[in-house]
Amino acid sequence: MNKEYDVCIIGSGAGGGPVALTLAKAGYSVLVLEKGPWFTEKDFYKDELACCRRSVYTPELSDEQHVIEDVDSDGQWVGEPTSESGWDFWNGNIVGGSSNLMSGFFYRLKPEDFRLLSEFGPIKGANVVDWPISYDDMEPYYTLVETEVGVSGRFTDHPLAEPRSSKDFPYPATLEHPVSKRFDQACEGLGLYSLPTPRAILSGRKDNRRSCEYSGYCGSYGCSSGAKGSSRAALLDQAVATGKCEIKPLCKVYKLSSDNSGKVVSADYYDVKEKKQSVNAKLFVIACQAIESSRLLLSSPGPKHPNGLANNSGQVGKNLLFSAGGAGSGDFDYSTMASQESKEMKRRGPFVNRGLQDWYFIDDPALGGRVKGGTVDFLLRHPNAMSKAMNAKWDDENDLVWGRALQNQLKSIFTDNQTLRYEIFCDWLPTDDCFVSLDDTVKDKWGSPVAKVRIGYHEHDLKIGRYINEHSMKVLSKMGATNVRSSISGAPPANLVAGGCRFGHDPQTSVLNADCRAHDVENLYVTDGSFMPTGGSVPYTWTIYANAFRVAERIKEALG
Amino acid sequence: MTNTMVISRREFMTRLGLLGSLALTYPAAALAELRQSSKGIPLPDWIEEPVWKTIAQVQETLFPAAEDIPGAADIGAAIYLHKAIENPYADGEDRDYIFRGIGWMDELTQQRYTKNYIQLTENEKEKIIEETVQSKAGRKWVSLMLTYILEALLAEPVYGGNPDGIGWAWLEHQPGYPTPAADKTWDQLRQRRS
Repeated sequence: MNKEYDVCIIGSGAGGGPVALTLAKAGYSVLVLEKGPWFTEKDFYKDELACCRRSVYTPELSDEQHVIEDVDSDGQWVGEPTSESGWDFWNGNIVGGSSNLMSGFFYRLKPEDFRLLSEFGPIKGANVVDWPISYDDMEPYYTLVETEVGVSGRFTDHPLAEPRSSKDFPYPATLEHPVSKRFDQACEGLGLYSLPTPRAILSGRKDNRRSCEYSGYCGSYGCSSGAKGSSRAALLDQAVATGKCEIKPLCKVYKLSSDNSGKVVSADYYDVKEKKQSVNAKLFVIACQAIESSRLLLSSPGPKHPNGLANNSGQVGKNLLFSAGGAGSGDFDYSTMASQESKEMKRRGPFVNRGLQDWYFIDDPALGGRVKGGTVDFLLRHPNAMSKAMNAKWDDENDLVWGRALQNQLKSIFTDNQTLRYEIFCDWLPTDDCFVSLDDTVKDKWGSPVAKVRIGYHEHDLKIGRYINEHSMKVLSKMGATNVRSSISGAPPANLVAGGCRFGHDPQTSVLNADCRAHDVENLYVTDGSFMPTGGSVPYTWTIYANAFRVAERIKEALG
Repeated sequence: MTNTMVISRREFMTRLGLLGSLALTYPAAALAELRQSSKGIPLPDWIEEPVWKTIAQVQETLFPAAEDIPGAADIGAAIYLHKAIENPYADGEDRDYIFRGIGWMDELTQQRYTKNYIQLTENEKEKIIEETVQSKAGRKWVSLMLTYILEALLAEPVYGGNPDGIGWAWLEHQPGYPTPAADKTWDQLRQRRS
């Protein structure tokens, strides 16, 4: 006989973990269904093949993929399966989701991000709205994440600092790279506020999790010390320890079945042996990351939901968000440094931990008055050796380089300089040209239609990105970097995705209510980044964690 | 970047004959030691198969050894490639393409020199590669060969290349830790997806 759980959560990443932990601690029976395998600290090594060059944490594209719709040279939208393009949109399909693989740059949104429309007014062609909640509603949960997930940092008061209910971070900042000092000096010279970047990485022990061990390989890698605040290490392990939470890995939910009243009655899935199974629960939570959450809803029509669950207003999948902006970098040549300095610059392990928010709001006539800007985060070039080496294979004329020339090129790339990079995070304005639907022809290995993602961007995003980029390049130059180069584009970063099930007060224009419950399904919540109607100008993870903790409280109330 | 034409100081000095025994510290000394110690290690039988003999020699042309530069044989490029493409989770297309390319090479060398690749002089071998990369398909094949050579150079030694971390040492690259045990290689972990 089938056991009925209080809550069934689909997806175990940053959106699922807080709900699982909160409800399990409150004594409710929780089942988490996760499509991927369950790796632990004992499975994570600094192995570039496993992390980044083979499909270990994500599916083979021939088994599961997306169709990406982009504009061709004739201005037509054309879909291309990712198995053909190689443009992988998966981000860590394992227990704990992509939070296992994040770099853990943790920024809060600012109060203005919750009311973008009333603060900055409408932008033609963009579906900008205010959120149905305010920063004050979210603040306690940002703080909760600092202690529960473990955020390290050093609070510095500055004009754009978000209001905080606690004085400082619960963990001191992680160790910092010598280049950070150079950065601080350059910012001082330019009159900028060098901000220490908070990180979801422990600088000391927390329960069973060890401190960061400063191997220097963090983003894209699973953490073997448990220091990284993944949903798995920080939350799910605790949830399981309560005895109330069960995690079933390798279980792929393909449909939520609903009854004549419109309520969800079961999650239907393929188990580890690819056998069809079904599980009942009082309440269901979707947290599969934005694209897949929309896909699951669209794949789940029922008697009251002919166009897909929670989609009676046709809003599911709409207003998908990525993160706009781009990246730049500059080199610091060892040959120009004294030996001690070059030794310090070569250091691997400590973090740069610096960001700039001087252009989070921009008041410049060149941009037509006060507009929303973004964040710039600084980091060392990723240490992955193979990806670095692969760059040496081609010269400027796109000719292959081999033999002694290749070896010389490699030697130069690896030993001539240190590279400091920056990443710009701007609002990806929600538009009618960025959304998720189901593809008509391409199916996954289980026979379900894959998600088709239209990836249109708003020109305004590029304008803002370029503005911030001009200033960011000056920081690198001031630091003494050479070969400063950058790129701002409208290409979506697949690892920074949100929206698709925006929350709001009006069921006609939003999928979820302010509690992230589906307007027209009384026992269905969505707790990943899908709820965000606008994205803010920071990486999403902290806000996803905080909101999921917030919604977990609402679910607790709903369960009674 | 225009560094392809820049020769390193070390190579410059080597060419001038300035690197005598005093300079044999690192990595030349380490390389010499590696070359010495690997002499006694028995090689697998397949390495004697004509196709693998050709592969190994092509790899050496693409990544030649010098006194202070590890070549394809030093970094175990053939051993790595064999393990990589015979792996149950390997990309079958890569495997097919590599063998197909070796067939083209054989044809081309027969046409040009009426000899097998392994019988050619270094100069002739380079000429064959130069000709191969002129075509789109040939370029794709050489690029694929280089991909696996660079992986062999820099992958964890558990995968069969980069013995004693010689590739890392040569490029002064600091690997991460912990490094994978034999039962935690990517294919072992990949197995747990299915």
